Amino acid sequence: MLIQNLSPLASSLFSLLAIASLLLSFVMLGSRWLKNYLSAFAAESWIIAALSAAVGYYGGYPELYLIAILTLLFRGLLLPYLIWRIIRRLDVAREIHEILQPASSLVIGAFFVMFALAVSYRVAAEFHLELTVAVLALTVMLSMKLIGFLMLAVRHEAISQILGLLVLENGIFLGSQILVPGMPLLIELVILFDLLIIVACFGVLVGYLLTHVGTTSTLGLKRLVG
Amino acid sequence: MSARDVLLQIAQVVTVLGLAPLIQGIIVQFEERAQRAQGPGIFQPYRDLWKLFHKQIVIPQTASWLFWITPVVAFTCMLTVPILIPVLTDFPLPLSDMGDILGGGLILTLGSFMIILAGLDTSSAYGGIGSSRAVMVSILAEPTLILVFVGITLLAKAMLPFVVNHLLVASWAAYWSPAHLFLVAAFFILLLVETDRMPIHSSTHIEVYMIEEGRILEYSGPLLALLKWASVMKQFILYTIFCNVLILPWGLSMRGTALGALGAAAALILKFTFVACLVVIVETCQSRLRFYRYQEPLAASFLLAVLAIIGTQLT
Repeated sequence: MLIQNLSPLASSLFSLLAIASLLLSFVMLGSRWLKNYLSAFAAESWIIAALSAAVGYYGGYPELYLIAILTLLFRGLLLPYLIWRIIRRLDVAREIHEILQPASSLVIGAFFVMFALAVSYRVAAEFHLELTVAVLALTVMLSMKLIGFLMLAVRHEAISQILGLLVLENGIFLGSQILVPGMPLLIELVILFDLLIIVACFGVLVGYLLTHVGTTSTLGLKRLVG
Repeated sequence: MSARDVLLQIAQVVTVLGLAPLIQGIIVQFEERAQRAQGPGIFQPYRDLWKLFHKQIVIPQTASWLFWITPVVAFTCMLTVPILIPVLTDFPLPLSDMGDILGGGLILTLGSFMIILAGLDTSSAYGGIGSSRAVMVSILAEPTLILVFVGITLLAKAMLPFVVNHLLVASWAAYWSPAHLFLVAAFFILLLVETDRMPIHSSTHIEVYMIEEGRILEYSGPLLALLKWASVMKQFILYTIFCNVLILPWGLSMRGTALGALGAAAALILKFTFVACLVVIVETCQSRLRFYRYQEPLAASFLLAVLAIIGTQLT
């Protein structure tokens, strides 16, 4: 396995990139403006692409270069462009009715990171991964997932919910790149197309919300019909 | 304990006492220049202090003894802290082990605590507003400050600022570690908060907008001069901690010669000019927020401190 024998330089590079992407998801959590969410998400995807390339270089997996390029193109350019088109069509620039203030959600996010650290110590001890990079990758992965869930729960603009889902997915992708870098290429491709479908579905959902409810806030969708 | 060390320790206090108004003047001048104004010159705070020391003292009828002792206590606190931190030398001087980082933080806070009491003491409306606002901000700033200190302690495995300084000078790995960078970022936000340069602070001098200055509106003459001097010294001390302990730990006197101490003082002015540029850029670029968003920068700072502590656990 790659992470068992990493050079110190590689391990510090991986930690830096992982922590930078965690910080960018906190930027998304602490901001009110949809444009900020979008640029933070794009930057996070670029960092994850750089991480893939670095893992490919240090671990000797040539197919990871291809994955890095695909990540850059799909997550870093295509998905933000599609979401930007949806935002441009709407009249919404920011979250209007906040359930939770950005400041409180930042503090809750900090507690999530602590929780993730505690959990990943346990998990790493269980799987005998005592290296700091492994614990860090697990922590960043778990805390990005928790932050994604938090964004899905406390935001109710449809756009922020798409981005919450994408952050969650970015977290899993980042963790898998460091922990199990030899994942088959085909699975990566499937995941990327899944993401495209998710964004397209949300585009349809936003169109539906606009015509039937009149706003893009998902708070209007309370009644169950069926 | 040698006579040279005692002299150096006195020199540290005198440096803070003498250079603090200069740094304030440099920041104000930069700010004016950034706004395309002429500016009063970097020596204006000295002239202000001189003028205030030659004025008469007017005391409100409602004031009690607290009103009298507050400027003295605040000024003495700011004279005490430079003994504990590396201002000129990177080795501990005779009285430096009197208190650690938390002790220094306690003395700094004691000064602002007394000023808050004095603002309430005269029972004027603006003093009350200023005190309550300052308390609101410091309630949130204080836990973060403690967390930053805990992070520094975990990073260097010691509570003395000199040890942190040596660690950062000795190893680049420690300097560029995520824990240290997060601590720098968290402390930078705290620095803006404690020196009244948060985005919620107004640049216009109107009583309704005042936060920290509202507390000292009733003072006049030499008492006001002492308070102003204490506040610029507090700013100087926080800049010293930020530069010499966290971000620029180089350029301190290692052997303690007179020339080295002078060089260290010159280096301090250079470092502070750099930090002042940074502060002015942040202050000019950041738009002013309404008061009730005061918790946002502090929440960000809290988050960075927590991340720093997690970073220290991982290395």
